[in-house]
Amino acid sequence: MQSNILMKVENVSKDYRMGEVKVNALQEASFEINEGEFIVILGPSGSGKSTLLNILGGMDLPTTGKVVVKGEEINSYNDRKLTAYRRDKVGFVFQFYNLMANLTAKENVELATEMCKNSLNIDEVMEEVGLAERKDHFPSQMSGGEQQRVAIARAVAKNPLLLLCDEPTGALDYKTGLLILSLLHKINRQHNKTVVIITHNMAIGDMADRVIKMRSGRIVEIRENENPIPPERIEW
Amino acid sequence: MKKLDLRLLRMIKQSKGQFVSVTVIVAVALCIYVMFSVTTINIDNAVKHYYRVTNINDLIIELIRIPQGALEALKTVDGVAEVQGRISIDVPLQVSNEDEKVNIRMISLPDGGGIINKLYAVDGSTDHPDDNKDVILLEQFAKARSITTDDIITPRINGRLHELKVAGVASSSEFIYLMENEQSLLPAPEKFGVAYARESFLQSTFGYRGSYNQVMVTVDDYADIDDVIDLIEKRFDKYGIKKITKLEDQLSNDVLVQKIDGIEMMSSILPMMFLLVAAIIISIMLSRIVNNDRMAIGVLKALGYGNISVLSHYTKYALAIGLTGSIIGIAGGLLLANPMSQVFVSFFNIPLAGIEIQYGYIINGILLTSIFCIGSGLFGARGVIHIMPADSMRPEAPKAGKRMMIERVVFIWKHVPFSWKMVIRNIMRNKKRFAFLVLGLAMAYGINTVPLYMSQAMVSMFEMQYGEYQKMDYTIDFSVPQNKRAITDLSHLIDAEYIEPRLDFPFELVNGWRKKSVSLIGVPRDTRFYIFKDKEDDLISLPEKGIFITEAIAKELRVKKGDMITVKSFIPGKEDITLQVTDIFKQYLGANAYMDIEAMERLLLDKNMITGVSVASNDDLKEKLKDVKNISSVRSVGDMMQAFVEYLDTMNLAIMAYLLFGGILGFALIYNATIIGISERINEFASLRIMGFDKKDIYSMITKENSVMAGIAIIVGIPLGAAMINGMVESFSSDMITFPVILAPEIFIKAAAASVVFVAIAQLATLKKVYNINFIDALKSRIS
Repeated sequence: MQSNILMKVENVSKDYRMGEVKVNALQEASFEINEGEFIVILGPSGSGKSTLLNILGGMDLPTTGKVVVKGEEINSYNDRKLTAYRRDKVGFVFQFYNLMANLTAKENVELATEMCKNSLNIDEVMEEVGLAERKDHFPSQMSGGEQQRVAIARAVAKNPLLLLCDEPTGALDYKTGLLILSLLHKINRQHNKTVVIITHNMAIGDMADRVIKMRSGRIVEIRENENPIPPERIEW
Repeated sequence: MKKLDLRLLRMIKQSKGQFVSVTVIVAVALCIYVMFSVTTINIDNAVKHYYRVTNINDLIIELIRIPQGALEALKTVDGVAEVQGRISIDVPLQVSNEDEKVNIRMISLPDGGGIINKLYAVDGSTDHPDDNKDVILLEQFAKARSITTDDIITPRINGRLHELKVAGVASSSEFIYLMENEQSLLPAPEKFGVAYARESFLQSTFGYRGSYNQVMVTVDDYADIDDVIDLIEKRFDKYGIKKITKLEDQLSNDVLVQKIDGIEMMSSILPMMFLLVAAIIISIMLSRIVNNDRMAIGVLKALGYGNISVLSHYTKYALAIGLTGSIIGIAGGLLLANPMSQVFVSFFNIPLAGIEIQYGYIINGILLTSIFCIGSGLFGARGVIHIMPADSMRPEAPKAGKRMMIERVVFIWKHVPFSWKMVIRNIMRNKKRFAFLVLGLAMAYGINTVPLYMSQAMVSMFEMQYGEYQKMDYTIDFSVPQNKRAITDLSHLIDAEYIEPRLDFPFELVNGWRKKSVSLIGVPRDTRFYIFKDKEDDLISLPEKGIFITEAIAKELRVKKGDMITVKSFIPGKEDITLQVTDIFKQYLGANAYMDIEAMERLLLDKNMITGVSVASNDDLKEKLKDVKNISSVRSVGDMMQAFVEYLDTMNLAIMAYLLFGGILGFALIYNATIIGISERINEFASLRIMGFDKKDIYSMITKENSVMAGIAIIVGIPLGAAMINGMVESFSSDMITFPVILAPEIFIKAAAASVVFVAIAQLATLKKVYNINFIDALKSRIS
């Protein structure tokens, strides 16, 4: 249904110039993201998935093509509008957590919510990610998994339309990775948040509603997952 | 509190060493600014208040003689408000040590104390003498010689000793800065004093019954003072006007204004330099912080913070330095302004009119500092704008490397040891920053040269004036002009190698509308005591007819060598004459013009007349001439030298303060540069450690870099120091005192030594940082 479409990506390409060389990082990507969907973008290093995620998140602009979010073309946004888009519509989760080292867990989340209009209750979010007891700890006092949960809390607490996760389990061990995936899955299912994960880990694709496969800057396959499996059953 | 601000506070806490070292610079800048600005205002207010309370004269007219009755006519001159006549004559004072020569200026006071230049009684003593045998003594002199009320002083007036009782001690607004004449480099209150006696007593003793030799005048409007002077000159010429001096040109006021200007200048230049250096450090520091925080900046932007928010987050770091420094500096400045004002007013011997806190300075200070800090903060953190959130997530690509010029000279490069190659490469990697640091250090070096120059200049001025330009041992002044036979008489009394006549008379030099009262001194053309040198330091001899003037007078009157100038005589009946300025000569102290004594007699005065002599003698002339009539003063170069040496001791403190200022700057620069360098290159150092370098090797590499920086800064600092010295000479030289431009190597060597010491201290302060680097952690870190 048209009303369910959150984002429409139409013929998006991105070129970089590295010295004398022109690099086609992304070519003619087209797909749609529906509200409440769980999407996994799969691809090896250099396949253009991070570039795509950056464009979806308003961190970068396409060279050609359109990105339409809720009827608005964000590719024509200026810097100020893009900042507002990132602030109000998108939550990011990074591979290396990227928390502010000199802020506590809770303060890291507050840093993100302070400037948002519809943010969620921080204590509830901390509770949700299972860090209510650890909220006053600094990142250096936490494990990788805990830090990633803070990063998820930071992204979720803003109450965004879209949660973009760049290799969220890339720096974690298998068990912790699964915990993080479960958390993202729960947020998607219980709170109806659209989640996009990019990863090179094929196994993660099994839990997605839809899988977008990439290679050499192109989308090579978009596959609907009839029966997504719960994250607890994923193995790699 | 906003979380970004909380992050800022924690960032400050983490880099507290650097934060404190820059804050100290800002605090010192503001402290100097507020302290000296408030002190200037306080002194200025005190002087104005004192002038008002004592009703200081606007003009002093020196004449040969003016009858009391003529004063009434003087009062009727347009613009004149009040008039008061007096006798003022310098006489020797007999003191217990017969070798000591002390002069005292006897000034008459009308009964009741008069209305102009009223004395300011000290400690409840009287301010006017009631008896012919009473005097009121000037406070500085009384203090310097430990003379108190009821003591007896014995001036020698016309060869006769008079025993006079000190009825009171008072200060005078006319002698705030007590100096005998323009040739005195420094005040010597134990050698020269002022005593106020009853008018009738001095009139009869000096033979001025019913008349005066000086008139003090106040005017209705000081703006019209030149018109008033013209009118007085025209109407009262017949009384033999020698000189009319405006308050602004009076010796004490002139020196005072110079001192206040000097303090005011210090209050602006030094803080500016400090703030500039602080700005350099802040911008380097912030650019490093931003670089280190690249990923955090990307995250902030990804979270939805805009460029302005992130930029202002980092700029606030600079602002925090500015505000903390301002608050500490202003508080310190205000605290110190009071005692500082007290020190100055007691040095100048004026009652303090009250401490006034000028809030304008506080606001100015905070504004100025904020502008500096925000400017340097924005400059340093400007890289924030170029950090794209997407790029920042990836490790920064290494900077493009390219060969340096020196590497192309293979013959040299292959002989450079490896550790030096790294030093040179690192310097070339951050050329802009290196240039900024060198500039800052060069400024610190420049600040060090200034006090060293000052002490050198004072010594040099003295030695040049009394060793090279004037070679006499004694200068003797007669109380009234004498016939040249006086030289023969004198040679019978003293054992002199050589005696030379001197004719010293005030004249007004006029060029167009510009005019200046100066002492025109006539000396023989073949003078053995006076050496004249022109700007190029070439010897010049007095011409048969022309006139020599000092550089300062030439500048003030805008005349060049070869121009014609009018010499206006104050002596009744003498016509003004026009003379050629044959040359412009160097003289450091006093505003004088010189000409051949015979030409001067012939053209301007009466034949065969001299007002004093210059003597070369090993004899004790002061002792021998103490009872001789008609001698008003015997000045020895030795006495002046002694007073000068004492003064130099007190100057050492100021030199130390300046060196400390330069030192603080040098320290902060090197300390911060080193800390920033370490944080930037921690990965590089870690790799070196793994390759087998030990901590000492790494520390020595940093030391080498700092040494190269200090070395280049000193080289750059030499012309900068020279420029500062030139600026100093320009702004402190006046028509009365000309500072010589001395660029002696020892000034620069000593300044370099001071810089090296402070750089070494800063370098040592970073030792712990280098030794505490955790190399294993550093290697694990993703971002260097």
